[in-house]
Parts: sequence; C-alpha cells; structure tokens
Amino acid sequence: MDTSLATEPLTPRDYKSDIKPVWCPGCGDFSVLGSITTALAELQLAPENVAVVSGIGCSSRIPAYANCYGFHGVHGRSLALGTGLKVARPELTVLVASGDGDGFSIGGNHFLHACRRNIDVTYIVMDNRVYGMTKGQPSPTTEPDWADSALAPSGTGLRPFHPLVIALASGANFVARAFSGDILGTAELITEAIRHEGFSFVEILSPCVTFRPDEREWRNMVHTASVEPTDDPSRAARRIMTDDGFNTGILYRGDRQAYTPLTADGTPADPAVFEQEFEL
Amino acid sequence: MPKSKQAAKPGKAPSAETRDRSAATTVAVAINGSGGAGAITAGGMLLKAAARAGYYGLFTRAVGPQIRGGEAAAILRLATTPVETAANRCDLQIAIDWMNADRFAGELNLGPDSLVVANADAEDAPEVITKSGARIVSVPLTKLAKSIKGGRPNMVALGIAAAAIGIPQDAVEKEIVDTLASKGEAAIAASTQALAAGMKAANEVGASTPLATATSDTKRWIISGNEAAGLGAIRGGVRFVAAYPITPATEILEWMSPALVKAGGSLVQAEDELASINMIIGASYGGVPSLTATSGPGLALMIESLGLAIASEIPIVIVDVMRGGPSTGIPTKSEQSDLNMALYGCHGDAPHIVAAPTSVADCLFTTQWAVHLAEATQAPAIVLSDQFLGQAKAVIDRPADIAFIANRKIETAPAEGYRRYAITADGVSPMTVPGTPGGQYTADGLEHNPRGTPSTSPTDHMSQLDKRAGKLTGFDYGQHWADIEGKGEIAVITWGSSTGPVREAIETARADGMKVKLIALRLLAPTQPEQLAKALKGVDHALVVEQTHSGQFLRYLRGEYDLPAKVEHLCRPGPLTYRAAEILTALNDMR
Amino acid sequence: MSEATEITVVQMLARAYAIEREAQSRYADLADQMQVHNNTELAELFGKLAEIEGKHAAKIKSRTAGAELPYISPLAYRWPGAEAPENVDISVAHYLMTPHHALKMALAGEQRAVEYFQDLTDRAADPDARALAEEFVEEEREHVELVKKWLEKYPEPEEGWDEDHDPPVIQE
Repeated sequence: MDTSLATEPLTPRDYKSDIKPVWCPGCGDFSVLGSITTALAELQLAPENVAVVSGIGCSSRIPAYANCYGFHGVHGRSLALGTGLKVARPELTVLVASGDGDGFSIGGNHFLHACRRNIDVTYIVMDNRVYGMTKGQPSPTTEPDWADSALAPSGTGLRPFHPLVIALASGANFVARAFSGDILGTAELITEAIRHEGFSFVEILSPCVTFRPDEREWRNMVHTASVEPTDDPSRAARRIMTDDGFNTGILYRGDRQAYTPLTADGTPADPAVFEQEFEL
Repeated sequence: MPKSKQAAKPGKAPSAETRDRSAATTVAVAINGSGGAGAITAGGMLLKAAARAGYYGLFTRAVGPQIRGGEAAAILRLATTPVETAANRCDLQIAIDWMNADRFAGELNLGPDSLVVANADAEDAPEVITKSGARIVSVPLTKLAKSIKGGRPNMVALGIAAAAIGIPQDAVEKEIVDTLASKGEAAIAASTQALAAGMKAANEVGASTPLATATSDTKRWIISGNEAAGLGAIRGGVRFVAAYPITPATEILEWMSPALVKAGGSLVQAEDELASINMIIGASYGGVPSLTATSGPGLALMIESLGLAIASEIPIVIVDVMRGGPSTGIPTKSEQSDLNMALYGCHGDAPHIVAAPTSVADCLFTTQWAVHLAEATQAPAIVLSDQFLGQAKAVIDRPADIAFIANRKIETAPAEGYRRYAITADGVSPMTVPGTPGGQYTADGLEHNPRGTPSTSPTDHMSQLDKRAGKLTGFDYGQHWADIEGKGEIAVITWGSSTGPVREAIETARADGMKVKLIALRLLAPTQPEQLAKALKGVDHALVVEQTHSGQFLRYLRGEYDLPAKVEHLCRPGPLTYRAAEILTALNDMR
Repeated sequence: MSEATEITVVQMLARAYAIEREAQSRYADLADQMQVHNNTELAELFGKLAEIEGKHAAKIKSRTAGAELPYISPLAYRWPGAEAPENVDISVAHYLMTPHHALKMALAGEQRAVEYFQDLTDRAADPDARALAEEFVEEEREHVELVKKWLEKYPEPEEGWDEDHDPPVIQE
C-alpha cells in the first residue's frame, strides 16, 4: 500500500500483523488496537524496535495482532516481563498491555512496583470491568452491584479498585484515562504516554460486548476532562477521586526521572577482573 | 527401601578418627561465642591466615536465630590438601562462652580425642560437652582480653587456635592488619597483642592439635559457593539478574550486583519471585543471558513461569540454593530436598535442564556450564546448589578456565516467512531478538505452530513437545554429566553437597584396599541412561547417598535408570550434613 | 475545524484520499472479523464495501495528476467526529449481524461524508478548493443513493436475529 510519498511513511496498517483478531465483533479492543497502531504511526517508530508484552485475557491477545515483537506471558506478570525487557534493552519502545483482571487482580503487586520504579514503559490496560476470557466474573474494577455473574449473583458488594489513584500514589509519572470508542483521542493519549519519560499508565475503558452489553452506555457517559493535566500529584489525586469515572484525558503528568539501572562508566570490565578478590 | 545405617560396626576398616597426631593432614577447629563475641570474624581470619600459610580449608558457620548478638560458631577444617566436607569430629573447640552452645553439639561432634579450651571467666560447660569425653582445659579469655587496651576475647581465641594448629604468627598478624585496616591503628594493635596473648596461653595449657607442614604452592582462592556461582554466571555471559532476597541465596545477588554493573549489565531487585523470573524471561527474550537466584520457597513461586520459559523456548538460569524444607523449613541449614520440585514441579510436560554442583569450587563450573546449556538449547536450567555449598568458604586451587559461554542461536537476517519455532534437526530454532527487522514474532505460553501462532492442533502440540524434549535429550553434554572416579563392583551414587563426604569416605576405603567407584551426578535432567549404564557396568552393589527424608534421589534413580540388583540407601534429611565417617560405615557394611 | 478556511486543493485531495483509504481499511477489518466468526455473508459484503472504497480512493489519486499528496499523520487531521467521517462505527458490529445492519452503518458513513464536504464548501476560502469540495459532496451524495438502493434489498430483520443458543466458550 502506498501513500504516494517518496519516503513511504509508516501508516497504522503497517503496525498490524496479518493475524486476524478473534475478539468478538463489537469489542472495544479492536479500537484500542487501532489507537495503538495510530500512535505508533504518529511516532514513526520502526516496528522491529517496538515490543508489546501482555499477560492473559482477551486484551492480552493483542501482541500477536501487532507487527512488532511481542510476548504473550502468563496471567498477571506482563509488567515484570516488560520491565526485564526494558532494562536489558533500553533502546526499545516497550508497551505493556493488560486487562483489568490481569493487571489489577493477580497483577496488582507488579502494578504497584512498576509505578514505583517508574520504568520507562507505557502500560495500557483495557478495562472492561469483567473477566471476559473466563466467561464473565467480576473483576477488581466491577461495580459492586453488577449481578450478572454466577460467581457473584447478588453483586460483589466490594468497593472497586481505583487504578488511576493507585498509580498516582505509587509513583507513576503519567496517568491518563481513555475511552476505546474515541479512537483518535485515545491514540493521542497513547502517543503522549509513549513520549513521556517514565511509567505512563493509560487506562482505557473498553466495553465488553458479550458479557457487559450494558457498557454500550459508556459512549454517552464519557467526556473529555475539562481541566489541563496537572503535575501536582495531590491535585490530580483529588480530581481523580472525585470525578465520575468517565473523565478522559491526561490526568497527571509528572517529571520524575525514569528508572535507570546502575551502569558502568566506560567499557565493561573483562570477567577475568572478578577473580582478583578471591585470590590469596 | 533399606533403612539408613545408624551405628558404627566394629571391624578392621580404619576409621577417620585414628590418625597420627604429629602428622595430621587435617584439623577441625571451632570457635564459638555469643552476644557479639565475634566468633565468626575470628574464624574467617583464621581461614585466611591458614590459606596464606599454604593450607587448604573449609569454613562454615552455625548460628542461632537472632539477627545480632546470638550464639555463633565458626567451624573450620584446615588441611594440607583440598577438603570438601566437614570433619568427622571436631579436634579443637575454643569456647568464648557457652550460651546456647549445645545447639552446636551435633554439628561439631566432640569426642574423646577432642580438645576443648573453655573460657575460665565464663559459665560452666554444658553437659553435652562434658559428657563427650573431650579433654577440657581453661584459659581466662576475658581477663586476658581485658588486660589489653581494646582487646577482645575472640582475638585471644584466634591466638589459641593459631598456636595449637601451628599457623605462623605473622600470617595471622597480616590478616589482622588486612581485616581491621578500616578500624584504625589502635584496633590493629589491640588485636595483635590479644593474638599474642592467646598464643602464649595455648602453649601454657598444652593446647596442641598441629597440622603437618603446608606444601601447596599452587595458585589458590578463598571463595564461597555462592560467590563461585555468581562468578560462573558472569563468566558464562549473564548480564541481567532480577531477584528477590532469600536465605541462603542472597549472597549471590550481593556479589553479582556490583560485578554485573562492572561487566556492563544490571541487577534489579524485584518485588517478589514471580516478578524475578518474569523479568529475566523478558530480558532474555530481549537477547540478554539472564539469571535469578533463590531458594526452595522462591522456586516454588516461580514454577508457573518456569513453564512459560519452557513453552516459549526462552533460556534462563535459576540457581536454587536449597535449604531445609518443606515450607519455611530450616532456612539456615542445608538439605537436598528440592530435587522433586526442580525435576517435576511444572504442570504439563515441561522438559528443562537441572544441574547440581558437587563442591564449592564446582559451583563456578556448574553455573557457567548451566548458562551455556540454557543458551544453547533455548531452555531454562535450574542449578541446585545448597546452603552448605553456598555459604561455606573454601580454599581451593584456582579453577581452570573453561570455554563454556553463552552462545545462542540468533537469527540476524530473517528471511520472508521467518518461523521462530521452526522444526530443525537438533530441535533448536534460530531466535530473532527485538530490533531485528523482519523477525517479529510473539512469544507465547500457549501451544503454537512453528510460526508461533497459538494452536490446538494435535500435530502442532506433538511436534512442539517432541521439539522441546528432543533438543535437550539430543544435546551432547559430554563427560560433565557426572564425576565418575575409580573402579569396583561397589559404587556410590550421589549428587550435590553429599559428594564431598562420599569422596572422602571412598578415599579412606580405597586406602584400605576396597574397590569403590564414585558416581556423582552433575546433570540430573535430562537423564543420561546410556551413560549411567556404562558407568555401572560391572557394579553389582550400589550405595545411594542423599540428604532428604523421603528418598527423592533414590526414587528418581529407580524411575529413570536401571540400578544394580543390590542397592543400599543412606538417606537422612538436614540440618546436619553428612560426615565421611557415616558413609564409610555404610561402605564397610557392604564388604 | 478552524483550518477549514485555509484549506487548499491539494490538502482537500489528501483528506478525501485519506477518508476513502480509512474507510477501505475499516471495511477490510470488519470483513476479517466476520470471516473469523463464520459470518460469510457479511464477510463478503464488507469485502465488497472495502473494494468499493478502494476504487474511490484510486479515483481520487488519479485526480492528483501525478502530484504528490502531502503526508498528514492520522492525528493531524482533526476530523469533526471521533475519526474519519466515512469510517463505520466498529463498536456496533455483531458476529450475527445481517446485511441490513452493515448497510445502515455504511449509509451513515456516507451521510457523514456528505456533511463533512458540505461543511468544507461552506467554509473553504479558496475557490478551487470550494469547487472541489462541491464535487465531493455530489459524489458522496451519489454513494448515499447507491447504498440506499442496496439497503432496500435488506429490510430490517425480525427480532431474534442476534439469538445464539450456544453459550460463550472459555478459551484460556
């Protein structure tokens, strides 16, 4: 496919692999894939220098659908995979993808520490407030009165996890909320997230058409944040804790330095040097 | 399964206890004390001084549960030739005090030939000491120390030990200077004087457990098993470590952290073991040889992700420094009971490499080899070390340089239609690393086709299973899979830290004309049935030695190999490691 | 769209081309989705729609008379809605959807395209650009009629068109 330019810039389609997603038609994740590929095209990153790393769940299927290097890991450990890859290969652009179950339930601990470490990756969570892959159980972000699951027939009664606030409190350097239906708006957020140094967390409300048909209403409930992103964590926290949960945009943009592991100055030492301390 | 041997039988076989005192080639000495007495420091200095004087040695510690101020015993074995195992009996124990010291009785094992130098200024020796039959003399350690400005009883004890054994005073003085350099001239002077006072006191009470003259002129190191493992990893090419601290593996991380940085790599302290193993999988996926170190409880947490590395064919190395299990178990003591988990812990059919060093020095070789094996086969390797090997400091001959280094089959110029998991002759498929144009693929724990796309097809599952198993069974491990020494109709089959005492027992048995073969496995998975069959040719009676309660190693041998008709089993869990004498008794029963 | 007033002929062509290409891509994605979910009829229908959009795109390209269209990154377009006007809403797809649903989506897409170019005719300052916009309005109106006719063949299906007696399947 040509774009009639001599230098042939990469288009979003160039970042899609030839593997056809198995997501249910209507799934918000199709749009998220569109947003991610649009963001990568906006940045004109070479696909081979981008890695998409995920856990388990519908949203975690995404690496295979992108024309980048990918890793579909085990449940809840996508951030650890991504951290190891980024520290070992800092020149790569690493996107970590999860869902609300993978990221906030089993993956909760790694979420805290990835934010704390402020590793320079972009964490995209497709939040559909349900465990879709396993047929519709409540997730940590599910409303307490959602009663359509066999495992919680009268609703969980539990207060939902608040990932944006937790990300903020744990040290994430960039926090944004998005809605999958706003493909280009979300693409812009993801572009900014990738550009921003440190741990960038983008929570994308992405409806599950099969298990949460009620989420079709989200399109009518989301609205762009009416204020500029702040670099004051406490202001951001107050806003996020008092908004209606459908406020989209960059909610916090900090300036903490990204995690940089200790590195040697100059040429790495020859391993022969290490035996000196053991010699008599 | 035959019960393990308990009582020593009378017989003509020489025991390790009888020897000509004037030409002892090995002396076992312990210094114990509590409440910040500094017994461990004194022990470490004695080892170093002895090493400088040309001796070999092995230094382990036994401690109470306190973080500071607890009871501690420095346990040394000094010798004119390399030693790999604890002594059968403690020849000389110098007790700065007796607080909770009966804790160490089993490990020290005093007997009628032992000498105890007690602190005249401390409490009376406990019953277990007085009933041991050892000769007990007293030295006023505390008074002597107090008579010197800044003097400490542990330095007096050091002097007693040095004099009794025959370590030259200047070797110890040099060690004092080196160790206390940062504490200033006054501290050095005080310790030097205390040392001299101790040496004088030893002569006065006739404390004499001399070592024969040192004869070694080879290049030697002092190193612990954990340090050796770290060094082996770096030499093997590891440049990324992610780990969570756990006793008794933490020293590997502490040593590797600055070393990795120097070598151009990095270490990340992870939030838990689940993160550790996934971080190293991520880094290795990125093309960097990676490793983590842990102990039993940590490996248990890593098992699911170990399966991920196996399924996605990502090389990683996990060093498991085994400790007493199950569950939290006995964290500061050694055992060989993680064997089952290392071999069989994964769900599904999940072949991987399991290797185990046989000595402190071998921790270097085996870890370096494991890195090489993992990288060559694109599979995880577990290195089963243990607390005894990991935390013992040994004086060893400088290990030979070995050529094993990470050498992954990397695809640098993938062709159109590149397939990450293509079926190849040796089962290892060239791997692209991120950054290589045209080589993009998604690594997956899901079963997949040669391209890497998830697949549930029977042919894909079978062929990928065959591939992942075949690449390991088809690999040529060379002669390193086991240490096979000697000839005979009797063979002792063992592994890991049990090898040291087995070797020594066999040496003693051979000296008395017994023909015994040693087979110490280094590679536990994949199994080498042909090789073991070859090694067992002509053997009609085997003694299997392991440090577990349930006999994990014997079960493994019986399940995977053919053993001779007559098999004896020496099977005892931790916390105490084997002594050569126990094994010798079992061998003598087989005559 | 504030820059609408300054829009040039070349930029107009670039946008029109992008609209058709995006629509083509969107229909192709939907065709894939339908194929994966064994809705052959819709896979073919969306495939056809993709082909048609491709033809439209080629037609616009041929109007450039060999001149190069400026590259405008997807985020720079500033479409009035969530995305390029002719893109059908991917979130209302359904694996059991019928041609009626698809063509209604397509109709809405074409109508949005009409409105888009209509707005440009109202605001474009450059007379050539305005004229071009008017041409595009006409073309898109034609497309609207074509889709309407096509839609006539497929009345709204009865209730129960989305009924699936099989429960969802766990995959992992």
